[in-house]
Amino acid sequence: MKHSLENNILTLFPEGRIDSGNAEKTEAEINSVIAENPSENLILDVEALQYLSSAGLRVVLRLRKKFSGMKIINASPEVYDIFDMTGFTEMIQIEKAYRRLSVEGCEVIGQGANGKVYRLDPDTIIKVYLNPDALPDIHRERELARKAFVLGIPTAIPYDVVKVGQGYGSVFELLNAKSFAKLIIADTANVDKCVEMSVELLKKIHSTEVKPGDMPDMKEVALNWASFLGDYLPREDFEKLYALIDAVPHCDNMLHGDYHIKNVMLQNGEVLLIDMDTLCVGDPVFEFASVWLAYQGYSSLDHEVVKGFLGIPYEVTTKIWNDTLRLYFGTDDEEVLRSYEDKAKVIGYTRMMRRTIRRKGFETEEGRALIEHCKASLAALLPEIDSLSFNK
Amino acid sequence: MEIIKTKKENELCIVLQGRLDTTTAPQLEAELELEGITALVLDFSELSYISSAGLRVLLATQKVMNKQGEMLLRGVNEDIMEVFDITGFSDILTIE
Repeated sequence: MKHSLENNILTLFPEGRIDSGNAEKTEAEINSVIAENPSENLILDVEALQYLSSAGLRVVLRLRKKFSGMKIINASPEVYDIFDMTGFTEMIQIEKAYRRLSVEGCEVIGQGANGKVYRLDPDTIIKVYLNPDALPDIHRERELARKAFVLGIPTAIPYDVVKVGQGYGSVFELLNAKSFAKLIIADTANVDKCVEMSVELLKKIHSTEVKPGDMPDMKEVALNWASFLGDYLPREDFEKLYALIDAVPHCDNMLHGDYHIKNVMLQNGEVLLIDMDTLCVGDPVFEFASVWLAYQGYSSLDHEVVKGFLGIPYEVTTKIWNDTLRLYFGTDDEEVLRSYEDKAKVIGYTRMMRRTIRRKGFETEEGRALIEHCKASLAALLPEIDSLSFNK
Repeated sequence: MEIIKTKKENELCIVLQGRLDTTTAPQLEAELELEGITALVLDFSELSYISSAGLRVLLATQKVMNKQGEMLLRGVNEDIMEVFDITGFSDILTIE
């Protein structure tokens, strides 16, 4: 029987049928493979298995006695039904095979760095990933979207994960929606309404409590960013930065993590959120750090950056940023608003500096200028700030 | 989408026919007069499709009914049941 041994896990690939006619022989064959390949765990990849009778099920049962953590993967709908009806799905982890789909002839409606988006039918789209190893990321994003959906955050339904050629695709509900970025590009008069609606949704997200452990903690991520800068910032600045982030109180409320007008959509007067792979929990200051980066931070030295990214000039995104602060905090007090902005900037510069260094920023002139700018800005901001949290 | 309502004292039964999507979800929302209702039955046996907008109406309605009584879904077909399963709604809703 075909098999493979990796990371102390033995995978077997049974084929065809296992019934009373061949169960004994198959079991002997399996046992000899197991004897020759000592391993800690067992996976049955049943992609090529068409049928198993009660005799076949008994073979599986005896295997489970040897490997209590055994798993069955790639079960066809027919084989899965057999396991399901007999109650096996309740005692063994059994995963269905991915449905196969072809996107041939489907209209391409979007293209990103990770893959293409096609329209499958009037109600669904499919995001096809270029990288065949994207499966864990696909599942992560879908799980986050699902959790947010049940908590009442308006987003598209993530249907199933399918196999497309050698890669994978994620099927989503088709939203008949326009992004706020598109609405503003079409008519700048839409800015005020868009900001108002996006702040309303942002408040809803931030008031949504998440079960502890369900989503990553942004504070931990930010502490990692800060740690990375230990080698690049003056000792004093680094210590202050780390202590400030460390002192932000823990918070189990939801953050989007990449909130800007390209990820907020309007459909029939209803506001929807997309790109759920960055969902996390934490103090809103972490959200505002990424909002600031999108509207201003990444364009600090070159105002054209935001034009390329959001399709909107820097003056307009600056207005969006300022109005967002004003509406979210419900005040026109410039001094208060600038103090909130400074808190967001501290985390924003931290993230941008790390990102630029990691993307080999030291090798280019623009990169070096941006790194220096982050460093100088942090040096100016840090002595003025004694707490990063908005919540106090 | 067709909405057929039957009200008997504190019980409201709503039969939905067709598609509960972006266009028709607001229609259902408007028809749901829940004041004083302690038992709400949504009959899905003639519903063919539900979108996220439809699910959001169900979620909001379930939240209201949690406070004042019970909400039950009846006649859910296989396709819609699958949507409830993958979205996690089957854990929140009471489905007969």
